[in-house]
Amino acid sequence: MADPLVLGIETSCDETGIALVRGNELLVDAVASSMDEHARYGGIIPEVASRAHLEAMVPTIQRALGEADVDLSEVDAIAVTAGPGLVGPLTIGASAAKALSIGLNRPLYGVNHVIGHAAVDQLVEGPFPERTMALVVSGGHSSLLLVEDVATRVTELGSTLDDAAGEAFDKVGRLLGLPYPGGPHVDRLAREGDPHAIRFPRGLTARKDQEKHAYDFSFSGLKTAVARWVEARTDVGQEIPLADVAASFAEAVADVLTAKTIAACHRHDVDTLVVGGGFSANSQLREMAAKRCAEAGINLRIPPIRYCTDNGAMIAALGSAVVRAGVAPSALDIPVDSSMPLTTVTV
Amino acid sequence: MSGSTPGLTTVELDLPDAESTRGLGRALAGVLRAGDLVILTGDLGAGKTTLTQGLGAALGVRGQVASPTFIVAREHPPLPQPDGTLGPALVHVDAYRLGSLAELDALDLDSTLDEAVTVVEWGRGLAEALTDDRLEIDLVRPRGAGDGARSVAGADGVAVLDLGEDPEAGVRRATVRAVGPRWAGVDLAGLLGARPN
Repeated sequence: MADPLVLGIETSCDETGIALVRGNELLVDAVASSMDEHARYGGIIPEVASRAHLEAMVPTIQRALGEADVDLSEVDAIAVTAGPGLVGPLTIGASAAKALSIGLNRPLYGVNHVIGHAAVDQLVEGPFPERTMALVVSGGHSSLLLVEDVATRVTELGSTLDDAAGEAFDKVGRLLGLPYPGGPHVDRLAREGDPHAIRFPRGLTARKDQEKHAYDFSFSGLKTAVARWVEARTDVGQEIPLADVAASFAEAVADVLTAKTIAACHRHDVDTLVVGGGFSANSQLREMAAKRCAEAGINLRIPPIRYCTDNGAMIAALGSAVVRAGVAPSALDIPVDSSMPLTTVTV
Repeated sequence: MSGSTPGLTTVELDLPDAESTRGLGRALAGVLRAGDLVILTGDLGAGKTTLTQGLGAALGVRGQVASPTFIVAREHPPLPQPDGTLGPALVHVDAYRLGSLAELDALDLDSTLDEAVTVVEWGRGLAEALTDDRLEIDLVRPRGAGDGARSVAGADGVAVLDLGEDPEAGVRRATVRAVGPRWAGVDLAGLLGARPN
């Protein structure tokens, strides 16, 4: 029997993502973004995002169905992001999913956005091995997950205690006077600078943090160090070497992310690493991950960037895994959860 | 550490390190109850999220209290306490990008206000509309090569900043101001452990 056809709906932030997945095969992935509107505000405004999701939902579903030449009645299950994310946007997606579930009389699966960022790689490079490490890094998340079964057994080894990696980039971009979103701008600038010009702190790598926070991240102190370095230089009337600051900052972020991730792979005897989330586009992270994984004999999997940013394919991919694993569907009254725990694959 | 006499509505504290910033958050947990609003003000790196981490830990809420910047508002539901009771939830908001009362209003904070402790970073000038009572907490961190940092010669001979092992080094000054009838007669200085001069 063919695998079930799963419709995935993603609305945790500013992208309305709709996708159809059968097994590990992606039929279509349609995305509508309110990113341009948000650039004007220098960041996501929940109400603007909610409104954009509301307007984009039906047209994006229709576009996806049209491109895949699929009728709604052929859909076997509906997967939707239940959290973590922005409450308003999540609610729009969940409401659409519940309406479809009732209208089509098909089961509903509320799934975890962060785990979706890992699951999407199964559509690209096939099923995960028995044990996979997943580093999910984006504007809102920086987490290290041990994936034994993406549908049922995910362990959160660590997460950021304060700022996410992408968020630290946005804030450093802001303090260097770069446009929003700071991430790509800081990255571009960093490529022209010397990553060893300034030694910025590596958060939670001191011996005292090794026990309790071995796999947690902290980028807030780094951000503060950059701010104070820039202030100190400004106060004595010195020019700010923007490219060197950006490169040295990016080096500190990539160093900590990769060092901790590879240590976790060794510790948990895992030889496959998936890096997902929008921040996996970062050049220094990609280079350092490739180099260090090669040295450590770890198979590195980074999906193409369009599957790293928020999209429906990640939710349909996780939904497909969940349905095939025989997990019970979600109740129709599931709430959305802005701080959904990363060990919860489905609600 | 400086303090004020009981009954006054402004308390000032020196926070020598991140742990004492967290400690102020923990002390606040003993003072705050469901329905209370805290407005946190301070530059990048002043310790707003660090303080809220201490508050969240002492309230016993679910999840890692991290920066709310990306998500704008994060709700941490209460976890059952050892004695079986449930404390307030923690609603942690970053209003940095919210330009108007309408945008803040759209977060629906008033729907959770009664059963939660609501902390709004960058909320000054906006969040006051939520309730008549609030604690306003200002955090000030040392600037540039100030306290806690050493100046060392950089590769190009220009003095650069070295924050050493602790990137959060340096004393923060916290000013806690109580506004509204809820706080009348509350001995904030005593409850927050501020010692009079």
